Amino acid sequence: MKRKSLLLPVTLISCIIFIALPFGSATEFSFRDGGKTKHSLAAYRWILAQEDFLHYLGVSLRLALGAVLITLIIMVPTVAWLHLKAQRYRPLMEFLTLLPLVVPVVALSIGAQSALPEALQSSEYELSFMYVVLAMPYTYRALDIGMSAIPLKTITEAARGLGASWIKAITYVIAPVIRNAVIGSLFLTLALSLGEFTLTSLLHWDTFPTWVTSVSQQNIIGAIALSVFSLAAAFFLLFAIGLVTMRSKSDAMEGHK
Amino acid sequence: MSSATLEIQGISRRFGDVVALDELDIKIEPGELVALLGPSGCGKTTALRIVAGLESTDSGHVLLRGKDMTEVSANHRNMGMVFQAYSLFPNLNAEENVAFGLQMRKVPKLNRLAKARELLEVVGLNTQAKRFPHQLSGGQQQRVALARALAIEPDVLLLDEPLSALDAQVRANLREEIRRLQLSLGTTTLFVTHDQEEAMSISDRVGVMNNGRLEQIASPDELYNKPASAFVASFVGLMNRLPGVLDSKIVEVLGQRISVADNNLSDGVVKVLIRPERVSVIQDSQDTNATVITRSFLGASSRVICQMRDGTVIQSLVPSAGTGSLNPGDEVKLIIDEHDVLVASV
Repeated sequence: MKRKSLLLPVTLISCIIFIALPFGSATEFSFRDGGKTKHSLAAYRWILAQEDFLHYLGVSLRLALGAVLITLIIMVPTVAWLHLKAQRYRPLMEFLTLLPLVVPVVALSIGAQSALPEALQSSEYELSFMYVVLAMPYTYRALDIGMSAIPLKTITEAARGLGASWIKAITYVIAPVIRNAVIGSLFLTLALSLGEFTLTSLLHWDTFPTWVTSVSQQNIIGAIALSVFSLAAAFFLLFAIGLVTMRSKSDAMEGHK
Repeated sequence: MSSATLEIQGISRRFGDVVALDELDIKIEPGELVALLGPSGCGKTTALRIVAGLESTDSGHVLLRGKDMTEVSANHRNMGMVFQAYSLFPNLNAEENVAFGLQMRKVPKLNRLAKARELLEVVGLNTQAKRFPHQLSGGQQQRVALARALAIEPDVLLLDEPLSALDAQVRANLREEIRRLQLSLGTTTLFVTHDQEEAMSISDRVGVMNNGRLEQIASPDELYNKPASAFVASFVGLMNRLPGVLDSKIVEVLGQRISVADNNLSDGVVKVLIRPERVSVIQDSQDTNATVITRSFLGASSRVICQMRDGTVIQSLVPSAGTGSLNPGDEVKLIIDEHDVLVASV
């Protein structure tokens, strides 16, 4: 029993150290003034002084939002349809969604690009589609687990039997109960899209991550500060998602009081 | 509440090579509760889902008040359904769940919530109205589901094994509650179950299904006492299966010669089906023919399992009073009541 009670805190503390130490070190380093031990906000001031900073941040956000939108329009209904009407195809979908992890990004970029309409191939928005493909192993699983946790088919049939049209069943029943799974998958898409570098670089587009790489050659502390900024932004997004999820749970609890 | 005639006419349904339903015909009178009983995979749930409009048919028709509903979508059939799995909407509280069907029918909010509260009171959950499904027990969830199905004043109430996930005590209580409500509201009800006790205790008629076909549909009494086939006889209640010899409508079994009802069997070796309560155990007889193996006390009655001289094991259900002195190893005489003895081919 004693060993068991120690195992949990030790594991927890090790994990925290594993995650927090590099981040803490990078943060500390980003506050160093010109590589000396004196600390300042110089690197962050340098970031804000870069005229391309907001431009590339805007590009990445735009593309990430595009990817989020595509996930919402294509992935969510597809996974819901698999659960409601085509359970037998779920193993196939499991396999297909793993392919982006197996196929090298070089092959994926060329293959996926050639599958897109020509008009899109010359637009930076092709990246939004690619990001959706790259995020698919994670978004599919987030949605699949979320939808498996509830008897989606039964409650949809119950709603239909009670007189709800398909539109009303989706609006009043399906959408609210899968909301957390959808939010989770959208966050994953957003996080992956904002940080994607390899494919963007291979296709010769410039986004925030590629810009960070290029400026890091001019100012290493500035580049570290940018990375810390990106990580902090992702953390706050995650925190915001957590708040939304918690609020939906507390709303449910409030209801019965 | 409205009450309607429901007719299932020649419904067939295949899933690949599997025949789920084969020319199913059932007519349910207004206000009647009919149970479909059968082993897993016999097609009873498929039949219910077809009636609800959740499954399509290969052929046949579903008629409600004589109107063909086969092509009508589920949301326009006005049938209330309670599912086997918990099916409450997790994002809505009990009251909102019950009011959902009325909301879809554009009933004003105040009216639908009042109706929901009224129905929650009927199922004994008025104090739980604001609770969410995860805060309710399994039995309470199924009660809310029942209230939800009744809130829309359905033409037909469909119950798809609604009690199977509940423990025995809750199941027995809710079963009686369903029947009480069904009788008071007079709602035509189709109830699917694999539990014969459940089906027999609350139904006006029970349809026994096997391999997608309806073997027999009759009152519980008739089904038990006059089963139409060996399958029905063995599926409904316990049945002894003994070897016998048929000769000119007289069957010889355990040394007794018993006349049997008309059947299509030719003379020769047959299987004789006898209910345990039709076998009497006589103690202190000079002419014994069996040895007691076990005696199980069941309350008012006791189950006595005996072995005949030829090794045949036979089960008897006898009143407990007077069998207290029976012990394993005792020599007894078994006598078969000549009523309701059935014969089937070997």
